[in-house]
Amino acid sequence: MNELLIEFLSGFTATNEWAAILPEILLGVLALGLLGAEMALPRSQQTRWIPRLAVWGQVIVLVLAFTCAGCCSFDQREYFSGLIAQNDVTQLMRGFFLLSSLAVCYLGKVYFVRQSALPKTEFYALVLIISAAMMLLVQSAHFVMLFVALETVTVAFYVLVAYNRRSQFSLEAGLKYLILGALSSGILLFGIVLLYGIAGSPELVASSHDSLNYTQLMHFVIPNMDNLIVKIGALLVIAGVCFKIGAVPFQIWVPDVYQGAPTPVTAYLAVASKAAGFIVLIQLVSGPFFGLQDFLVPVLSVIAAATILFGNIAAVTQRNVKRLMGLSGIAHAGYLLLGVVALMRGVDWAVYAVIFYLFTYLLASFAVFGVMSLSAAADDAIQELDHYQNFARKHPFLGGVLACGLGSLAGIPPLGGFIGKLFLFVAAFQASLYGLLIIAVIGVVISIYYYFGWIRESYFSAPSTEVVNEAACPSTAGDRFLLGAFTVASVVVGLLPAALPIIR
Amino acid sequence: MTVGINAFILVAGLLFAIGLLGVVLRKNTLIIYMSLELMLNAVNLALVAFSRYNGTMDGNLFVFFIITVAAAEVALGLAIIVALFRLRQTVMVDQLTSLSR
Repeated sequence: MNELLIEFLSGFTATNEWAAILPEILLGVLALGLLGAEMALPRSQQTRWIPRLAVWGQVIVLVLAFTCAGCCSFDQREYFSGLIAQNDVTQLMRGFFLLSSLAVCYLGKVYFVRQSALPKTEFYALVLIISAAMMLLVQSAHFVMLFVALETVTVAFYVLVAYNRRSQFSLEAGLKYLILGALSSGILLFGIVLLYGIAGSPELVASSHDSLNYTQLMHFVIPNMDNLIVKIGALLVIAGVCFKIGAVPFQIWVPDVYQGAPTPVTAYLAVASKAAGFIVLIQLVSGPFFGLQDFLVPVLSVIAAATILFGNIAAVTQRNVKRLMGLSGIAHAGYLLLGVVALMRGVDWAVYAVIFYLFTYLLASFAVFGVMSLSAAADDAIQELDHYQNFARKHPFLGGVLACGLGSLAGIPPLGGFIGKLFLFVAAFQASLYGLLIIAVIGVVISIYYYFGWIRESYFSAPSTEVVNEAACPSTAGDRFLLGAFTVASVVVGLLPAALPIIR
Repeated sequence: MTVGINAFILVAGLLFAIGLLGVVLRKNTLIIYMSLELMLNAVNLALVAFSRYNGTMDGNLFVFFIITVAAAEVALGLAIIVALFRLRQTVMVDQLTSLSR
């Protein structure tokens, strides 16, 4: 009996290669280490050492993740009895999430200079945990793994969004995110359960004993694609994921939450959370829901068109810059959905176009959010366009970074955002999605209007005799280095797309 | 006499619908919160029923994960609601509108 059990267990544990998820483990250890360091260090030393520990620890993890042999292979592999699958896409996205959490930790340090009454260590610990969970999320190949990783991300985000507990804006944003996030998790779960039940039902052909596994589910869905419950389940799962990426029928939370959350958290939500949602969506439509393409392509096409139009049109009249970034983020989700639809229509390289776009979006967004963090007033939620009058005259360097970031988001030629949009549009063209392409181009034209409204406000508003108050917006050498690096990277990627080794 | 799978799924679907309507229609944050829990428990019921009728254990195991996550969500949600009540003296969603403009 005992030997049987041991044999059975060793069959299961044969694929438990912990080295494959070494970066995630190290991030978790680092997060716990930060909490330990808070207890060990004297209070006067904490503000100095904890942000440094968080930032440099992540740099070390990033270097390790891309140099050590165990976790930088780009081959297709499965670990933990099919719970985790790694391939080139997941490896690139692990780097993406590490980069963004690194930038968020840095912006957090800038934010805490103004909000010095808030506790600090937990912020870094939570950012690290979210980063590790998102890395696991994109690697998950099983619905239980997907759910646990997704909930780790969202529950930690509830705390981060409501982090400023002295601000009613932050708390209200936290509550809204909590209710709508939990609602979307519920919808996603109900879809998963329907799929689990129908795919495990012994009466149907190709039913499986492991019906929560992506591969098994894919083999089940292909012969049963006309089953009503399969369609409802798939729709509910897609709806749950669309909540996370802020696509149109489910976008109501985006402007409020983006406005109320602390600026570094807004940046994290806009860049990393959206990216994770898109990679999950891509893995679902090219994995378990591969057989449902005829049904899902029209649905996602309509969502993409509505998302692009809604995001751009709603952003035109917006005066609060955080809401503006949220609404324009919805529009960017629409362009990315264009890539997902192209992928479903058989353009295989569209997945790399999506990742390339996400990287250019990361570079441009963090440049803009960095400037926003540096120039924010005491209340973080109230950042109006009017505050940026004569901004470039007062702060030439930050004005330049802002202009480059916004230009890249709008898709102006020498910058990275242009090439990102170009790849997505070419993919859509190859998939012959002409109607969607026209809508996307109209969206880009509208977006140039409001992005340039912001640039005009900072460069060409009426010159005032106001005394330049440098102290209101101090930028240290580190800030300048980071923002300069993002801007230079945007330009380099725009001029030499091959600098990002994604599309081969 | 045994109860068929369809009865379980019907009850689970009804519970889920009640929860969804509660989230959409009610104005009190605490009741919205209870409705969210109802949705998660509808999912749990369906999982256990499917698990029993399909003869696989995954569903039963999944339920434990969902219960744990729901507990974490409740702990956090109540903390946020209490902090918000201290600042605003209200938990009605139609009065929490400082962000929507």
